[in-house]
Amino acid sequence: MTARDRYDVSLHLLDRQIVGAADRLVAKVDDVELTRLSDGRLVPTALLVGLPALLPRLSGLLARMHRLTRAAAADRDLPLVADLGLVDEVGSDVRLNVAHARLPRMERARAEDPHRLRVGDVLGIPVRCAELPRRSKVLDLCVVGVPGHAGRDDPHEVVALIVGPGRPGALLGYDRRSEPGPAVVAGIVRWLHRHARVVDLGPGVVLDVDAGEVRIERGTSLLPLRG
Amino acid sequence: MKRYLGVLLGVLTAIGGFVDIGDLVTDAQVGARFGWSMTWVVLLGVGGICVFAEMAGRIAAVSHRATFDLVRERLGPRVGMLNLVGSILVTLLTFIAEIGGVALALQLVSSVNHVLVVPFVAAAVWIVLWRAKFSSIENVLGLLGLSLIGFAVALWQLGPDWNDVLHQLAPTSNPGGESWTTYAYFAVALFGAAMTPYEVFFFSSGGVEERWTRKDIGVMRANVFIGFPLGGILALAIAGCAAEVFLPHGISVETLGQVGLPVALALGKIGLAVVVLGFFAATFGAACETGLSVGYSLAQYFGFQWGKYVRPRDAAGFHVIILLATALGAGVLLTGVDPIMVTEMSVVFSAIALPLTYLPILVVANDPDYLGEHRNGRLANVLGVFYLGIVLVVSLAAIPLMIVTSMGQH
Amino acid sequence: MRRPWRTTAVAVPLLALLALAGCSVVSQPDPAGWDQSAQQALDDASGEVGTARLALRAAADDRTWSSYTTVLVSEAEEAAGTAEEDLSRLQVPPERTDAAATALDLLGQAAEATRQVRALAVAGRYDDAELADELARLGTALDQEALRAAARAERS
Repeated sequence: MTARDRYDVSLHLLDRQIVGAADRLVAKVDDVELTRLSDGRLVPTALLVGLPALLPRLSGLLARMHRLTRAAAADRDLPLVADLGLVDEVGSDVRLNVAHARLPRMERARAEDPHRLRVGDVLGIPVRCAELPRRSKVLDLCVVGVPGHAGRDDPHEVVALIVGPGRPGALLGYDRRSEPGPAVVAGIVRWLHRHARVVDLGPGVVLDVDAGEVRIERGTSLLPLRG
Repeated sequence: MKRYLGVLLGVLTAIGGFVDIGDLVTDAQVGARFGWSMTWVVLLGVGGICVFAEMAGRIAAVSHRATFDLVRERLGPRVGMLNLVGSILVTLLTFIAEIGGVALALQLVSSVNHVLVVPFVAAAVWIVLWRAKFSSIENVLGLLGLSLIGFAVALWQLGPDWNDVLHQLAPTSNPGGESWTTYAYFAVALFGAAMTPYEVFFFSSGGVEERWTRKDIGVMRANVFIGFPLGGILALAIAGCAAEVFLPHGISVETLGQVGLPVALALGKIGLAVVVLGFFAATFGAACETGLSVGYSLAQYFGFQWGKYVRPRDAAGFHVIILLATALGAGVLLTGVDPIMVTEMSVVFSAIALPLTYLPILVVANDPDYLGEHRNGRLANVLGVFYLGIVLVVSLAAIPLMIVTSMGQH
Repeated sequence: MRRPWRTTAVAVPLLALLALAGCSVVSQPDPAGWDQSAQQALDDASGEVGTARLALRAAADDRTWSSYTTVLVSEAEEAAGTAEEDLSRLQVPPERTDAAATALDLLGQAAEATRQVRALAVAGRYDDAELADELARLGTALDQEALRAAARAERS
């Protein structure tokens, strides 16, 4: 992903392999932590790792089972945290500059911090907008910047949402980049997601994670996926 | 010189490793019931495995990502989890069938009941997976598996009437006079046996294990495009032997002993011994591959360290999974279930699970983020889409056909 | 989010029904169904008799070793026995009493012949020409009876 200054969290970062020092496989990016700054900007701050991060994203039975066992293992229900400062490079894998699996467990205060949220909690929440199909959801988050060392001083924040009917992940990467083939598969996926739109975060767009919905005012500009 | 030897070794092990218990049993069954009329299915299946193994190998060489990495990255954790459960069940079923196959091969030599041999086989598989080097497993068993060439020699000795064979090659010839639903069921099973998902799990993870780089793409392609088709010829020879010996007598193949019988009739004891060694090597090799594949898929879904390129201590979870899978496999076989029946089920369920594996491979093989200049060209895409279509049809048809024909009974 | 529940409500009774349909203690086939089962059993037995004959021939020519032959013929014996058992356990429709007697008799002979082959193989004696002829005759008889069953199934 070098030489790109924009990426989609779900497509380019979530579920990628994390590789530590000495080429050891550490884990997957099970979730990504976002922090809401005082000026309202939403910035990615850490990669979350481990079953406590993964299971809530599975929903359904496993997540319910996890919620049941949560009480029994109160200190184990927090994920491990890899702050983005530890990330060297993001390509087809995520390279960390720390030794193999020396990640700290998230502190409870951090987990309960109302300014921090997880990408997994944002993906899939319903979108209320008069100009979009009723079943629209958040499919992905577009971020400006580069996760990791290279772009440490550059701006790095969530700038737009991809919304539309369907399921997060079902775009299979056939979104807005130059023509990946095969044309037939790309065509089918695009047709299935013909109602998907990109909406820039800004006035008129309210991401209300607590209420579990995104509200988009009438008249906000909605761009088609491949503009 | 050394480079050519490397290519040759790769091709030879690809041939020897192509056939497993599923191929042995299904090829012989199909030959005995349908003669040469399903040759086209074998050719189609070999083409499919070549197309997708090449893509998976290329992804592994360029981006060092194995198949299940792609599954989770592209399908997300939920669908990826469903895929994981399905693939693991199929691979475990195949693993059980392979261990049973090794036991059956040993039974033919020792006449000790295969159930009694199972614990020893399982222990041997686990020790090999724990201690042996990846390349030695692949090379030794792959080369020994080449002794299945005995089937080709036997076929030549049996001297089929080639005119008749040519006539039977037509898919519609159906010389055994079976019903068309049965024909379709066995076509699906044969296709599933040729394209078993574990083959790409193993192939791509093997590429990562052996530290392939862009430079190795050429060698990888040679292995795939020479080795697999030649392996497919072995599969055809097995079917052909059965067609020569069993079809005229209306005998259906239900045991591993029957699979080898045509070789005994054609070549005598020595030929038979060579082929039984081939049974052993092919099933043992495939048992190792499927056992590793169970560990690969789980580890690649959850992201923890896997592989035989690190010390077992550094991939403890991976090795524990393999140990558990081996114990489970042995346990299932100790109930006395017929390994041949497990094999028949494993190839059909493979056919059902095919799209789960092949769609993500096709998508990622087109992604410049992973492959850069090495991403799919037009030919690979046309073939990939063609096979994806076939794989979808086969997968949807498998369960109805299984019910209608009571697993090929009538 | 209520949909999974609805799927379960449909799927569970359907599966239960399917499972029950396959689990009755004694099935009572119609004549055509019985003919089909008979044809299946006769075909199977014919295949096992054929296998035993080929195995005996290979062993007599010294083309296999003894454990291989033993395994091969004992598996044939077991399968022939299973074919006989499976058919004998089916309730015979009144219209098929005679056919059933013939078929079961042949199946019994097949089981017995494969048993003899196994006994010879274990004893290491493979050159019983009489038994080989008997196997050939039995194979033909089984095939013919299977064809008759198939023809009956076709007619009804």
